[in-house]
Amino acid sequence: MAETISSFLTKDHRACDEVFAQMENEVASENWANANKKFEEFRGDLEHHFNMEEQVMFPAFEQQTGMMGGPTAMMRMEHEQMRNVVEQMKKDLDEKNKNHFFGLSESLMMIIQQHNMKEEQMLYAMADNHLGASSAQVVQKMKELER
Amino acid sequence: MFNQGLSLDQAPPISVPFRFFITAPLFGIALGLLFFFFPTDLLINRYSSVAIGGIHLFTLGILSMIIFGAMQQMMPVLAGAVIKKPVLFANVVHTSLTLGTLFFSASFIFEIKALLHVGASLLAIAFLTFFAVLAYLIFKVKFLTSTVNAMKLFTVAGIITSMLGLYLAYSHISNEIGSLHYNFMYLHILFGLFGFATILIMGVSFQVIPMFYVALDFPKFIQNKIPLFVLTVLVVFGMFLFLELDTYVLKVLFSVFFVLFCVHGLNSLNKRRRPVFDVTLWYWKLSLTFLLLSMLNWLFVPQDSYFLLAIMFGLGFLYSLLQGMIYKIIPFLAWFHLNSKGHMIIPTMREMINEDMIKLHFFIYTASVFFFMISPFLSNFFVIIAALLFIISNILFLMNCIMAANKYTQIAKTNPLDAFTQV
Repeated sequence: MAETISSFLTKDHRACDEVFAQMENEVASENWANANKKFEEFRGDLEHHFNMEEQVMFPAFEQQTGMMGGPTAMMRMEHEQMRNVVEQMKKDLDEKNKNHFFGLSESLMMIIQQHNMKEEQMLYAMADNHLGASSAQVVQKMKELER
Repeated sequence: MFNQGLSLDQAPPISVPFRFFITAPLFGIALGLLFFFFPTDLLINRYSSVAIGGIHLFTLGILSMIIFGAMQQMMPVLAGAVIKKPVLFANVVHTSLTLGTLFFSASFIFEIKALLHVGASLLAIAFLTFFAVLAYLIFKVKFLTSTVNAMKLFTVAGIITSMLGLYLAYSHISNEIGSLHYNFMYLHILFGLFGFATILIMGVSFQVIPMFYVALDFPKFIQNKIPLFVLTVLVVFGMFLFLELDTYVLKVLFSVFFVLFCVHGLNSLNKRRRPVFDVTLWYWKLSLTFLLLSMLNWLFVPQDSYFLLAIMFGLGFLYSLLQGMIYKIIPFLAWFHLNSKGHMIIPTMREMINEDMIKLHFFIYTASVFFFMISPFLSNFFVIIAALLFIISNILFLMNCIMAANKYTQIAKTNPLDAFTQV
């Protein structure tokens, strides 16, 4: 069965979660060099995921449905909120402030998961429905997007 | 960039869930106090008036209170279902549930029948308003997940529980306690505890455990079939009761469903990818372990008074889990609403409530459950110790929730732009 927008992006959510957990583990063991490495990997993965949505999937969805200020606008705003928290976490890493880092990482995890639920349960399913046969092309374009 | 209005279009104002969460421990304190004013023998006899009043302080004042508050927060996120006038809805449901519980329980505790008319009417308003709106929203959801399906079953079970409850209240009001009264009562208890409470907890766990702890998904069979099986067996249980058939086989089925859920839940939590310490995990594990133990106890141990089972299921399983959930939801909402309003200098989630205070609450609460559990085997004196610890634990719970609410209010009063004028 061809990969759908829903299955492809959901899998990518889980991959980001995995790196997020690895990053937290490195911070927990105060292995700061590795923590920084994992943080950069996580930030890169997260940014890539946002780009796949903001540059490929959302425009395709908006063009197909005509919904410009609807769910995609909301998701874009939430991406921005997550980017802000990730930047604050970087500051904690630089200052090796473990407690504050975990306070923020907990919040980020909650926002990410709430955001993921909305996307996985509504937006992706809507996108697959509306885009129909062209879903496969959208997935292909997302895969081709450079990191 | 300022995040004014981010995602808040969908979420209800913070005062909506908070009022429900902060009211619940007050009913916990009231329940604990009962043990100091009424003989223990009366309180542990589930047919006594005082016990009926006490049980409803828990099921209405704590259990339904927290579930109603949490559902208003979770529905937009988990099901995409948004309540149009959240504050009006919360005002109606919270006020009628709080006053309804007070009047209802007081009518049984003090044996004043006039209060039952008022209490039952207010509770009817609370439950019918809540479930009418929930049913309207949840059955419209197009994209179904195991959680949305569980919420639908929860709605059906909740409506049946409420109807049975109203019927029972009417029987008390009209003094018409017929021969089938105890069948209706038994069904009211089962639909309430297994359908209303446990199905919802399962549905939420299917999402929350894998996502927030980066843990294994529940097997598809458990996610898709078990909540439906639970509701089906509840209906069959009703038929068996009225046909006077032996229900043991159905008890076995319930126990198998819940044990499967617990084993997978505990397994998933133990193998989570985020081993970072989190007090709420203690509550989850304690709760699932108690669900497991209480089902085994129900199945294999002949019940004299059901007191031990009620403590294990009600306090060990249900209240522990709800407290753990609230300790996640309140700090997150306080942080999230402030962050979304553009406040830059705010405590993190872990700073909203002092973690040591949550631990203290956990230990005192667990000790209270322990003393309640040993009392039937040793002495009623331990019930008094347990009740005292239960009161203290609810005071701590209330203080912890208020601590986060105060931090939120203090910062919310300030202008987010002030952060730039500080040197």
